[in-house]
This record gives sequence, structure tokens and C-alpha cells, in this order.
Amino acid sequence: MASNYDYDLIVIGSGPGGYVAAIRAAQLNLKTALIEREHLGGVCLNWGCIPKKALIKSAEVLDTLQHAQDFGLTFDNLQVDYGAAVDRSLQIVNRQTKGVGFLMRKNNIDVIEGHARFTDAHTVQVGAGPLNPDGEPRGVTAASFVVATGARAKDLPGVEADGERILQYRHAIRLDEVPESLLVVGAGPIGMELSHIYATYGAQVTIVEMLDQALPLEDTDVAQEVERAFQKRGIKVLTSSRTEGFDIGERSVTVTVKNLNDGSDQKIEVEKALLAIGISPNTEDVGLDAAGAARNQEGYLEIDEYMRTSRKNIYAIGDCTGKMPLAHVASAQAIVAAEHAAGHAAAPIPAGRYIFMPRCTFCVPQVASLGMTEAQAEKAGYPVNVGKFPFMPNGSAQAQGVRGGFVKIIADQRYGEILGAHIVGPNATELLPELSLAQMMELTPTEIAHNVHAHPTLAEVVMEAAHGVEGQPIHM
Amino acid sequence: MPTPVKMPQLGETVFEGTVARWLKQPGETVERQEPLLDITTDKIDTEVPAPAAGVLLKVLAAEGTTVQVGSVIAYIGDQGEEKDIPESYQEAGETLENAKGPEAVSPQPAATAPTDAAPAPRPEGRAFVSPVVARISAEHNIDLADVQGSGHQGRVTKQDLLAFIDARNRQPPAAHLASGAAADEDEILQPLSNMRRMIAEHMSRSVRASPHVVTIFEADMTAVVRHRAARKAALAQKGIGLSFTPYFVAAVAAALRDNPTVNSRWTDAGLMLSQRIHVGVAAAVPDGLVVPVIRDADELNLLGLARAVNDLAERARRGELSPDEVRGGTFTVTNHGTNGSLAGTPIINQPQAAILGVGKISKRAVVNSGAKTDGAPADPLLPSPDDSISIRPMCYLSLAFDHRILDGLAADTFLSDVVNRLQNWAA
Ligand SMILES: Cc1cc2nc3c(=O)[nH]c(=O)nc-3n(C[C@H](O)[C@H](O)[C@H](O)COP(=O)(O)OP(=O)(O)OC[C@H]3O[C@@H](n4cnc5c(N)ncnc54)[C@H](O)[C@@H]3O)c2cc1C
Repeated sequence: MASNYDYDLIVIGSGPGGYVAAIRAAQLNLKTALIEREHLGGVCLNWGCIPKKALIKSAEVLDTLQHAQDFGLTFDNLQVDYGAAVDRSLQIVNRQTKGVGFLMRKNNIDVIEGHARFTDAHTVQVGAGPLNPDGEPRGVTAASFVVATGARAKDLPGVEADGERILQYRHAIRLDEVPESLLVVGAGPIGMELSHIYATYGAQVTIVEMLDQALPLEDTDVAQEVERAFQKRGIKVLTSSRTEGFDIGERSVTVTVKNLNDGSDQKIEVEKALLAIGISPNTEDVGLDAAGAARNQEGYLEIDEYMRTSRKNIYAIGDCTGKMPLAHVASAQAIVAAEHAAGHAAAPIPAGRYIFMPRCTFCVPQVASLGMTEAQAEKAGYPVNVGKFPFMPNGSAQAQGVRGGFVKIIADQRYGEILGAHIVGPNATELLPELSLAQMMELTPTEIAHNVHAHPTLAEVVMEAAHGVEGQPIHM
Repeated sequence: MPTPVKMPQLGETVFEGTVARWLKQPGETVERQEPLLDITTDKIDTEVPAPAAGVLLKVLAAEGTTVQVGSVIAYIGDQGEEKDIPESYQEAGETLENAKGPEAVSPQPAATAPTDAAPAPRPEGRAFVSPVVARISAEHNIDLADVQGSGHQGRVTKQDLLAFIDARNRQPPAAHLASGAAADEDEILQPLSNMRRMIAEHMSRSVRASPHVVTIFEADMTAVVRHRAARKAALAQKGIGLSFTPYFVAAVAAALRDNPTVNSRWTDAGLMLSQRIHVGVAAAVPDGLVVPVIRDADELNLLGLARAVNDLAERARRGELSPDEVRGGTFTVTNHGTNGSLAGTPIINQPQAAILGVGKISKRAVVNSGAKTDGAPADPLLPSPDDSISIRPMCYLSLAFDHRILDGLAADTFLSDVVNRLQNWAA
């Protein structure tokens, strides 16, 4: 159908944003190409969600084995091989990225290897990339584009992530040995998850966070629960603290950490330090100015509710838009962008919708949430009802040996609208969809409470929290 | 294979179009390049030629439907090729946005609609009402049948309902009743043209969006009238008619350069100051009104402006403007004086900050205040033997401005700048 252009749609970047956009566009009969400079699947499949989830599973098995006695099993001679866990994670990565390649072929999407740069709003030059270092630059044109170039680890000024003493997530997700000690800068999801993995495998972990709580975007109750659980496992969580300097030695690095409350300094010597202070968008070297797509001060592409940039035939999705750097958000944006580009009726995502998208942190205890924290809801002027129910009394939780965690639901007192839902504890991320569906369909806690939940399951705790919003939990 | 007919891109900045009229009906044959349908975008009507010869197999966008540029709106092919239309289009209209035509777009009932989530007509009687919406509508005593839903299959969401309540609170009560379309016995229904509908939509939206304030100044046009009289004949020989409009545009463009906030638009993030000055000039056309835009008006001299005004007005009357020529204005001038109006309170052309209304230039008596009495400077407003009356070509200029963007002082500064430029027009 492409008339004057090589393609109807070109997608730049093959992460969970880009490859999903390409598939949806191809399904809608657009002649589609996908340009990737590195590996199919982007950060999520190669360096992020997928290898991490595999390592978390290994850590979970290890933890269960270490507590086997609690379940009536004893044995000696437990051999722990972290390298084998990493190998397993890479096998899964491999299968997943192959799967993406298969989906591209199945949908007749041309995969072009190389680094793409706009020269004008309808043309990109594809040049050499890590996969084809000798690639001759060539121009490809399209009526529309989806920019899904993602993001990378944010640099900490003055320190270089050399992969040896100072790591970023790309290093930390593929270490072949567990460091004896590790200092993690940043208590966001990535820092907390990697801390959890390495602590389970025996590393002495210290987390340094500038703000006054771990997981700064989460509800304070949730953050406190996680901090307490981490401290109990021997992970030090230093909040309101900032790293002031990194003294890199032969075998170790000494980090100066300032306590922002009292101004005192301490020096912490560790084998390695991991920088997990957030992400920077991959938007510098893409020719966006030549294309006329505007970026904000931090370099994120500005988009409207149909993912259009200021240049209307160019869409942007995923981490390079800075809306919410999560894989499922990128994929949701991808579908809207592709449908809109194909002239299909797309359900827009207005700016206010992102806060209701699920957030997840896969450390132990797991954290899953959506919507406002209690403090945010109050600040927004809502009169709120809060229902909170712990996992502890729940039969399934006890059978699984779980002690902490809770479900917290925040609802508007007047109309019952769910303003926020926060779960910390076992399987939190898998329990959240009931609440996200309820929120989207504008159900109130009453319907969740009336919905019969199978027994014994962890999901009963969600039901109890919903009862709690109305002041009447059953098992309390 | 059937050939898809797509909504054409009619200009760099045009992203959607409305199907005004199908000139062929399904089953009829068309030649390649034969007019197939009329579309309207913004304020322009255009014919779309058939991209291929054959039979019009299927119409996917009913009259009145607005779709994005590039959307498939019909298929042309050989007789019997309907089955080769891609499956995702077999269900027709459900996949298109804002199906609001009087005829149902698709012969299929909405229940078989594919994965769309765009506003679709709500199935009568059994729409899902969320508990939150139920509680809010009960409290505000609202019949949900009156509310347009934007959710899946037309579900009324909380946002829809709050927007409805908000709009209702802002509407004067009488307007409620006015929507009834049934004609009384001594009324005749005159159907709305697309242009009428779009003007109506635009005007209502503008009044809702911008708190309008109007300020009125008076300009002594002697210098301009003299200038024009001196050049008119010579220019007419060259085939250029010199009206007063280019003078107003020139004065406005120059004043906009010195008053950049007047050349801006409101966004929640801040004022978007345009770096370029594109002045729209309202022109009456048989069915309504269009506002062709003179781009970079500040870079044209009077002759250039006169040419641009004449050319755009002429082509507007003939309905030959391209969609891009009626977009992108940063300020608008409307010369209602040509109809005899002395002063008007125009409505802002969104998303601009202000609009200048030009009244009729007519000779009026102007009082010149006497300089002084008995040597001592007295209040010039006091009667004085030196007061005199002269007869001058005068003109009322009214500026309607968005009070979110401009305050009275800024608007008056701008308008007095315009007035000064007109009054001091160099010979
Ligand atoms: C350790 C870690 C754990 C994570 N865990 C989770 C999780 O559990 N759940 C979750 O939802 N999210 C998680 N994330 C976040 C998630 O990985 C990202 O949100 C997601 O990958 C963003 O997808 P994307 O499509 O926007 O970009 P990316 O996945 O970053 O993909 C962008 C792709 O574009 C390519 N590219 C960039 N520029 C160009 C160019 N000019 N030309 C050609 N190709 C280009 C890149 O090579 C890359 O492959 C995690 C991230 C990390 C780092």
C-alpha cells in the first residue's frame, strides 16, 4: 500500500514497545519495517525483565532450600552455583529473543539491522550498529514512524561504570560470580531487585537512597514494610543518604556516604558498587531535530494521547517518552500508536491514565501497585477510605511460610472510586490485575468484596482489604 | 484484489477529514479519476477522485463520519471481489472513529464489533453502568442516556459524566431545551451544511475555552485614506485592487512584532509564543465564512499584502483554497465594516489570543481640544473657546482578547499601537 515511500510504517527499536508496535501495524495491513541496532527484544528481553525474572526464580528456589527445615526437609551438601543460574537466565533470554524474530517473520515485518537516524520527517539513514559494524549507511523512507529507542542506565557524574568495580544493570545482570559485598546506589525497583538477588546468594548488600524511603514512588506504608524486611535479612538500607565519592582500589571500592539528616559521613568498603539511579532516554543520536520531533528538557520525547510527537507522522512510545518506564506500558502505548498510524480507531491514553498502570518490583517481599499513594490522594483533596489487610492471618500465606505484607486499597469516600491499590507480599504482582481491572471499569471495593474468592488463596487478602475499606474485614 | 480508497492527506497539517457525500453508491461503476466523494476538512470542501476503475464494492465511512488521513474509507474492485476485502475491514464502520452519520455505517449490529474502543453507539437498554458512574449520576440526578460514552462499546466513564455535569453547569438553562430537533407546525427545518456545523462547533468551543473581553478604540484614518487615494488608480492599472484591509493587516503585523504575547496561544504548560506572524483575514463565502491565512504577514509590504488579500479572498469565494491556507493563523482580522457595521465583538479564532474587528470607516465630527486658556495650562477636558470641530474619516477598532492570556493593559497597549500606526501612516 505504500505509495511514495518504502514502507507505510517504520519502527525504530525492538523492545517491548517497538516489536509490539510492528506486529500490530502489520496486522492492520501496514507495510512495516523494524530497525534494531543491537538485539531483538530490547532492554526488557536482553538485560531487564526477563533475565532478572529468571534470576529471581533461582533466588526463590535457593531461599526455599535454605529454609527447607521449616517445611520438614533437611539435607546437607547444598551446592550453590550462581554462574549456572545466569546461564539459565541467558537461555531463557535466547528463547525469548528468537521468539521475537519468529513473530517478525510470521507477520512479514522486515527487520533491518543497524542504527537509525532521521534525516527528515520521512527518511532514516540506517548506519553501522554493533550487529553489523561495517554496515553501509542507507536511506529508508516511510509515511509514519514509531520511535521506540528506549533508555539506558543513567550516569552518576564523576564515576564511570567500568564493569569491574563500578557496575550498571547490564553488568550486574550477567556477573558470573556473586561479589562478597555490594553497595547499591538507588532504591528504585532495579536497585531493590538486584539487591535482593545478590543478598539471597550471600552478598553483604548496602543500599544508599537519597530520598527518605526505599521505593520512593510507592506508598510510605509499603516502603516501610520492604525496608523492615530487607533490614531483617541483613540488607542495610540507608535512606536520606547520598554517595559523595568512590575511591577505586585494586580489589575494592570505598564509597563515602553522607547522611543528609545529620550531615555525617561514613566510608563503606565493598567489592563492587552498582549504580541504579534511573535511566536516560536514547534520544540524542536519532536525528530527532532533523525530523522535527520535540523533546523536553530531560531529553524525553513529548507525546500526546495517541503517542504522536510534535511531528505528527512520528510517534514515540516506551522508555524514550518518560511516561512510565515499564515494559507493559511500552506495549500498551505501542498498540495505540500502531492503530492510530493505521487509521484505526485507537483508544487514547491520556496523560492522567499512566498513574493507574501497574507498577511492579520483584524483590522479596514483592511490591505491586497502581494509582495514588495515600499521601497523594489526600494531597489531591479526596476524602479517602482506606482498607488494609495483612497476609499473616491468611491460610494460604501461612502454608507458604509467609509472615509479612499486606494489601491496601484507597477509595474515594463519596463515590467509592478506587484511587490507589498497593500490595506488598507474596505474589503481589500476580494479585494486582483484579484491582487494575476493577479500577479501569470503575468498580468500587464493594464489588470486589462481593466477588467470591477461592479458598485458600492469597487473593482472599484482596477481598478482605476491600471489606476493610467499608470498615468490616471478616478475619480481623 | 480490491483497491482501497483512503482518506487523502490534503495538506501538511491536515490529519482528518469528514466524508460529506458519496457521489457513487455501492454497486455503481466508477472510472479511474472520476469524482467519487466529497470530503470536508476543517473549512474546505474537496472532491476525491477514484484511485482505480471498477465497482464501488464497499463503503466503510458513512456520510458525516470523520476519519484520520490514511484510513481506508471504501473499496473498489471487480464485481464479486467483496470477499477479497481484508477481513479486518469486513465489519466496516465499527473500526472508524466517530461514526455519527445518520445512516448506520455498517449493516452488521454493533455486537460483532472487533477490538475497537472508540466511541461507538451504545447498544440500547443494556449498557454497562459502572458502580462509580451509577453513584455519581444518582447524586446529580442525571439520565445516563443523555451522556455520550467514550469507553468500550460506548460505556459512559466517570470522565464522560463529570464532563457532562461540568458542561451542564456552565450552560444557561434555556440552551438545554433548544436542542430538540422536532419542528413545530410553523417551523421549517433547514438542514445544516458541513460548514455551518463546523462554524457552530468552533464558535461554541471558542466561547467555552476563552474568557472573552472586548476593548474598543477609534482611529482617525485620514492618513490611510489619503495614502490609498494616491495609489489606488495606479495599482488598478496593474490589476491590483487596493482595499483598506491590507492597511489593517500591515498595522496589525507590525504591532504583533512589538507585542509578542498577543501573537501566542494558551497551553496549560504556558503561553506558546509564535515566532512567526500569520494573519488570518475573515472572508464571507456563500455558505458561511472562511479565514484564509497570510503567512509571515510581517515580511510583506503593502503591495504584497494587497496581492495576498485579493488572491485569498477571490479563491475563498470560489471555494478553491487548500486546507493549509486556512490553518496556522496566529491572529485574525475581521473587517465587518464592509457590511456597514460600526463596531463588533468578534469571537476569537481558536487557539489564538485575540481577534481584531474593523468597523466601517465613515466621516464623523471630531472635537479638537483647544490648547489653553489665559496662558495657564488648564484641563483639556474643560470647555475652551479654542475648541474646534473637524470632519474626519473615523473607524472603530475592537479587539476581542482571551483574558487568560492578556490583561486589559496589554490588550490596550497593542490596540493603541495599531491605531498609532494607522493614524501616522507615512505618506
Ligand atoms: C534490570 C531491569 C529490570 C527491569 N524489570 C522490569 C520489569 O520487571 N517489568 C517491567 O515492566 N519493566 C522492567 N524494566 C523496564 C523495561 O525493561 C523497559 O521499560 C522496557 O524495556 C522499555 O521498552 P522500550 O521498547 O521502550 O525500549 P527498550 O527495551 O530499551 O528497547 C529499545 C531498543 O531500541 C534500540 N535502539 C535504540 N536506538 C536505536 C537506533 N537509533 N536505531 C536502532 N535501534 C535503536 C536499542 O538497541 C533497544 O534494543 C526493567 C529494566 C531493567 C534495566
